[in-house]
Amino acid sequence: MNRNYIYLTILMFILAVGTLVIKKANEPKQIEPQQLLFELIQPTRYVSTDQVAKMIIKNDPSLEIIDVRSAMEFNRFSLPRSVNVPLDSLLNNTSSYLGIAGTKVVFVSDNDIAADQAWVITKRLGVKSTYVMKGGLNQWMETIIDPKQPDPTEPYTAFETYAFRQGAQLYFTGSKAEAMESSKIKVEVQRKKKSGGASGGC
Amino acid sequence: MEIHESNPWKTLIALSAFILILIVGFITMSKPLLTYKLDMKQSLEEVKNADACFYPWQLNSFLTEETKKVVLFDLRDNFVFGQGHIPGAENLSAQDLTKKESGERLEELKDQGITVVLYGEDQLQANGPWMLFRQVGFRNIKVLLGGYQYYLQHKDNLLATKTDPAFQKEIPKYNFAEMAKPKDGSAATTTPEKKTVVVTQRKKSGGASGGC
Repeated sequence: MNRNYIYLTILMFILAVGTLVIKKANEPKQIEPQQLLFELIQPTRYVSTDQVAKMIIKNDPSLEIIDVRSAMEFNRFSLPRSVNVPLDSLLNNTSSYLGIAGTKVVFVSDNDIAADQAWVITKRLGVKSTYVMKGGLNQWMETIIDPKQPDPTEPYTAFETYAFRQGAQLYFTGSKAEAMESSKIKVEVQRKKKSGGASGGC
Repeated sequence: MEIHESNPWKTLIALSAFILILIVGFITMSKPLLTYKLDMKQSLEEVKNADACFYPWQLNSFLTEETKKVVLFDLRDNFVFGQGHIPGAENLSAQDLTKKESGERLEELKDQGITVVLYGEDQLQANGPWMLFRQVGFRNIKVLLGGYQYYLQHKDNLLATKTDPAFQKEIPKYNFAEMAKPKDGSAATTTPEKKTVVVTQRKKSGGASGGC
């Protein structure tokens, strides 16, 4: 046997062992830091409380609100249709609430820092179409639950927003008696009938 | 007898060429500018690290130039920076952060052991860059709690903010449940039914349904 072959075998073996060191332990798939930096300096991830309110009222099926506060706070008050995933347990079982095709995920917290932190963490995992509700629930209270009448000098759009918020306020707080009609937005879901079983054909 | 066995040097030459190529390959491998130093779990814990935060009252010693160990970076754009900023801060707009020179500058400051404090209009603006830089191993980068707005309101008496919790943004300002309860006096429905995430797969239409 040629001694060179033995050397070659040893070399290949060492290289093969070397690859074990290079490969990091089983980390989930992540996007590059450079890419993450690029994404997080864009302000496009913020949605306003008005936008979120509109989506809830319209019953947007693609909306998924994730509340990152603690379970206790969540039980005391939460937005309609929101689910609770406390920031601490954000990484447990991510697949059950993230990356569902066709959903827009909106992170919500008391303010927006914790929600933004959840956004950064999940963005590093490469999750797409996630958003942060700017101002969080504090802002929600100030704009939707207790809207302030705009100054007479403010532009027309401010009054339009105010009108929307008043409607939204009724929607989210139950409503006063005289406004019962407008508060209930009836969503009529018309289901397409399933063609039952074998239905003949031509 | 094979040809190469007649000349043992041939194998050796091939072997050295092979190793040489490998070495050259490793040396010239493009090193990414940033790599994660914290894994996902550590990154999540890092946001609660009080040592990674810069408190408003700590600005006091910076402003009086007691310490030379701190550099402030203003992440707002150049125009807003020009309208007013914390004295002594440098402008490094968020867009510039992606540039190579900024990375090198931060690297330099890290090697010198200088604390870098990032701030934006509010804490939110600096939150993302701060988290990222902590994750890629800049242990000297901190975020100014409260941001520029909080500083502006309290710049005359920064030391007094030690007892003022208002820079802690992540606290409920109101009693949400009380505020959002129905206004007509009916009982507040405090605990809506427990919501769980249900991923519903769309059912395939079962079986043959006629058709031509």
